[in-house]
Amino acid sequence: MTFPSDLCPPSAPFFGFMGCACAIIFANLGSSYGTAKAGVGVCAMGVLHPQLVMKSTIPTIMAGILGIYGLIVAVLLSGMIGQEYSLFNGFAHLASGLSTGFSALAAGICIGIVGDAGVRANARQQKLFVGMLLILIFGEALALYGLIVSLILSGKNNSTC
Amino acid sequence: MTSFVANHGYLDGLLRGYRSGLLTAADYANLTQCETVDDMKVHLMNTDYANVFQDLPSPLTTQSIAEACTRKMVEDFQSLRQPALEPLAKFLDYITYGYMIDNIVLILSETLHERGTENPAGDTQALLDRCHPLGLFEGITALCVAQTPAELYHLVLVNSPLAKYFLATLSMENLDEMHVEVIRNLLYKEYLKDFFRFCQQLGEPTSESMGDILKFEADRRSINITVNSWRMQALSKPWGHQSIQLTRFRASHLLGVCPVQPTRPDRRLPPPSLPQDDRQRIYPTFGELWPEGTSKLQDAVDMDGLRAAVDSVEAYRDVLQQQNENPDKTIEDCFFEKEVQNCLLAFESHYSYGAFYAYFRLKEQETRNIVWIAECIAQNKRDRINHFTPTI
Repeated sequence: MTFPSDLCPPSAPFFGFMGCACAIIFANLGSSYGTAKAGVGVCAMGVLHPQLVMKSTIPTIMAGILGIYGLIVAVLLSGMIGQEYSLFNGFAHLASGLSTGFSALAAGICIGIVGDAGVRANARQQKLFVGMLLILIFGEALALYGLIVSLILSGKNNSTC
Repeated sequence: MTSFVANHGYLDGLLRGYRSGLLTAADYANLTQCETVDDMKVHLMNTDYANVFQDLPSPLTTQSIAEACTRKMVEDFQSLRQPALEPLAKFLDYITYGYMIDNIVLILSETLHERGTENPAGDTQALLDRCHPLGLFEGITALCVAQTPAELYHLVLVNSPLAKYFLATLSMENLDEMHVEVIRNLLYKEYLKDFFRFCQQLGEPTSESMGDILKFEADRRSINITVNSWRMQALSKPWGHQSIQLTRFRASHLLGVCPVQPTRPDRRLPPPSLPQDDRQRIYPTFGELWPEGTSKLQDAVDMDGLRAAVDSVEAYRDVLQQQNENPDKTIEDCFFEKEVQNCLLAFESHYSYGAFYAYFRLKEQETRNIVWIAECIAQNKRDRINHFTPTI
């Protein structure tokens, strides 16, 4: 049984777990907004153009991937939190979780709005499909940048107590 | 700004696509050079009107052209209205209220003038066919059986969106005793005021562009009411039946486009014997000309009085001056030009609902232009064929 010290206070895991929670919470928020908005667009246009529905679920799928990014980071971080957890690690994991969480939220909003407008417009003009996909990919990239930063930050380790 | 893009971005894009499909100067040049009305169909098939004109049977009449153009406008409106979220949905509904007022007054004047016909069911359908399609609402068929305006209100209109406009006019007088045109003007005045208030609530930039457009509309009505009240007093003709006969087209909202008619049927005509103090009641209570301008307009009895009344507002002074310089243009034409300019300006700002209103005004003007050209060709009055205001 080790005594709590200044570098490993009992409150250190709070930050680490908050990082985990934020990653998954905000990523899911972004994913849900994206799925909802794009899904409404698919339903609205699917009434008149049912043959395009399968192609139009691509924005919804891309929004769903954002939740997976949050899941990856949360699972990764939770595995790194244990006894003898330094404040340094706590802060690093908090930063990691926040960066994925908010990036995925942003990407989810983008994918939702563009997906909604894009699938409706695609129903009227088929040539817009490639343009819409490109815009969606750029939006998804934002979450990917957040994930990359998260992974780098989670690798920061200084567990001396 | 972002909520506008998130909620209405697609519809805004669709609207701007429609706007770019308005007829260009080249299209108008082609149309004016047609030999017959059927040639116009060939030219119009190359524009956005292709799918409404495709199935029209030859030979074309002016009426069928007017109906086809109106049908296109209604299709555009429905494609914008159906996916619309609030507050765009409410905004688009406000646009329809103007047409509803026209339809209600049309039905009212028809049922009041021709009671006790042999075939009420057939007449009802014929009457509904003459209504503007954007102004149809639930329960409008029940209006055709009402005998008096008050009955009409209690039966149907109390549940319609226009109820609050009727309440405002009812508070002034007994609805039964009022001439239908006074009812129309009072309703329209309430509608404009309500619309203006709604647009102000929507904030920048809508409040700015729609504010300008609606103030212009209000002032234009004030000036038209004044001018027409002199003209009607001078002619002292029972205008009522005349305007109904002239509105044979289903597109009766179009101002008279027949080149040979001396007076253009105006949906804003006041009754023939409107005393001067009554004019104040139907002037809209907002706009550049209110309140000083309208009180001067009330006392104006000729063009000089009119000029003096609007002198304080530069824009209308210029309009009247323009009319003075080109005597073959009426004041109406000059106002149409100014309206087209205002509407084209509304497209310049982004994240604004004003573009939606402006598009439908421009579409109406375009329909008027096409029907004018068709009438000129049909009646072989080619010297006046260029007297329209192009929406470019």
